[in-house]
Amino acid sequence: MKRLRPFILIIVALAAWEIAARSGLWSPILFPSLTRIAYQFWLFVSQPDGFTQTWTTLYRAFGGFALAAVVGIALGMVMGRSALVAEMLDPLFSGTYAVPKLALFPIFIFVFGLGSLSKIALVFLECLYPMAIITYHGARSVQPVLLWSAQNMGASRARTLARVVFPATLPYIFAALRVALPVALIVAIITEMISSVDGLGYLVTYSLSSLKTDRMLALVVVISLLGLALDHALVALRNRLVYWEKLDTFYV
Amino acid sequence: MKRTLGTIVAVLFTTAALAQEPTLIRFGRGFAAEEQVWLMTARPDLTPNQGKKYALKQILFQANPERFQAYLAGELDAGTAPGLAVIFARAEGVDMKIVASVCQEAKGYFSTTYMVKDDGPIKRVQDLKDRTIGVVGYKTATDLWARAGLINAGLVPDKDTKVFSLGFPAMGDAVRTDKVQAGTFVEPFYSQQLEKGGLRKLFTAVEAVGYDHELLDVWFGEKFIKSHPDVVRAFLADYVAVTKYYLGNTEQAKRDLHKAGFVRGAIESYLKNADWRRDPNARLDVDSLKKLSTFMHEKLKWLEKPVNVDGMVDQSFLPH
Repeated sequence: MKRLRPFILIIVALAAWEIAARSGLWSPILFPSLTRIAYQFWLFVSQPDGFTQTWTTLYRAFGGFALAAVVGIALGMVMGRSALVAEMLDPLFSGTYAVPKLALFPIFIFVFGLGSLSKIALVFLECLYPMAIITYHGARSVQPVLLWSAQNMGASRARTLARVVFPATLPYIFAALRVALPVALIVAIITEMISSVDGLGYLVTYSLSSLKTDRMLALVVVISLLGLALDHALVALRNRLVYWEKLDTFYV
Repeated sequence: MKRTLGTIVAVLFTTAALAQEPTLIRFGRGFAAEEQVWLMTARPDLTPNQGKKYALKQILFQANPERFQAYLAGELDAGTAPGLAVIFARAEGVDMKIVASVCQEAKGYFSTTYMVKDDGPIKRVQDLKDRTIGVVGYKTATDLWARAGLINAGLVPDKDTKVFSLGFPAMGDAVRTDKVQAGTFVEPFYSQQLEKGGLRKLFTAVEAVGYDHELLDVWFGEKFIKSHPDVVRAFLADYVAVTKYYLGNTEQAKRDLHKAGFVRGAIESYLKNADWRRDPNARLDVDSLKKLSTFMHEKLKWLEKPVNVDGMVDQSFLPH
């Protein structure tokens, strides 16, 4: 029973959906039954094109995410350990954090083209903020006693950064990665919905244009499962690398 | 006793007042080429039945799927939509009928135009091989015309030429910067780009499909038609009257629409814009819808099965 607990709400939501779909109160085009959604889901996963389209979206999401991780972690670490750099960059990050970067997408299209590059660039920009800011706060909150010990043992600045600051910041870095990963997936899909000839976002728009809500919802399920699997993988990696501080908030 | 009588009188008055309340039509409108429809709200004095037999509430929608979803959710009674969007909706079992025409793509009038760079390498449609054409949404009329144009030129859409979705406002710059090699232009963007210079026509919507055809139509939900046939008749009588007014007094009508906020931008350019064909009696070209439906089914494979176009059109409510 305990193992089922995380699924109870999902089961209740699915049951509520099915009851609504079968009630006849709403058009099946708006509220398709779970059977119809499941059929469309099966059609998607059983065809090679489904994997090609999924890979296209993942490639764009991971491309921007990986770049943001590298740049964001580096920036956050430097900001966290250098008051001068923090003083210079903090206003830039704080001042532009709330800007909806998606509004810049038309400009990105003109700069980087209609293909994947403009999408990857926007994913990068959206993910950079949580990556840099959370890492920055992590790097700042390293216990002074750890730094003093390293200094007392004669560790250089670079060695202290690599052997003390970085491991102590790792839980924050993984928190940033967990925040940024779904953002990457969402932004990749939204940019594909706006302007693309492939990827899951394109398929969502295409299904909506054809009033195929069942197909669109099947894609939503695919996206949800992808998000879940990626988060699961990230938490597993985190628990392996940050073994001294395992996450106890992950149930599913 | 007095109190009881007072209550009865109050109830009777309220009931009578409610009985005289005109039926509300919740109407989903778009943002382009629907001048007559907008004029019904901007100039209610042209619509004698409005306020008596029906009340009109126009709700703006950016795209057709959202409009149809709102209808399915019971939030709309009627609206405007391209004929092909209604064909899609009917194919999915949406209970709606086209009752009047708004405007048509026709020879001798403005027709949606696909333009390329004046000094670019695209001299004819065949030159679009291995290149990209910009449309304003997948499975829209602009997508259909682009594909029709490519097929006519012996090209296979998606394989030989990419069909890419972009907004109308971005189309001019996208063509100029070579992001797409041909783009779709409607008014007012068409006139703006011509004024700027550097772009020229490649083909029009009429040339792409080869015949005059319906662009935008007025539809009503079948349940609404059945329960309020007189209301639909009264609405369409006003609609036809407004259409005739618009055609006879286009400049004044456009000024009124601009003043009422239905159209943004400079009034001078709006007055100069070319216009689509509008039938003065709002009669539909049903044959053109049939041809479009066949093209969508047989050539584009957009429909899983043919749609009965006669069954989705009802012009009997239009004034004779």
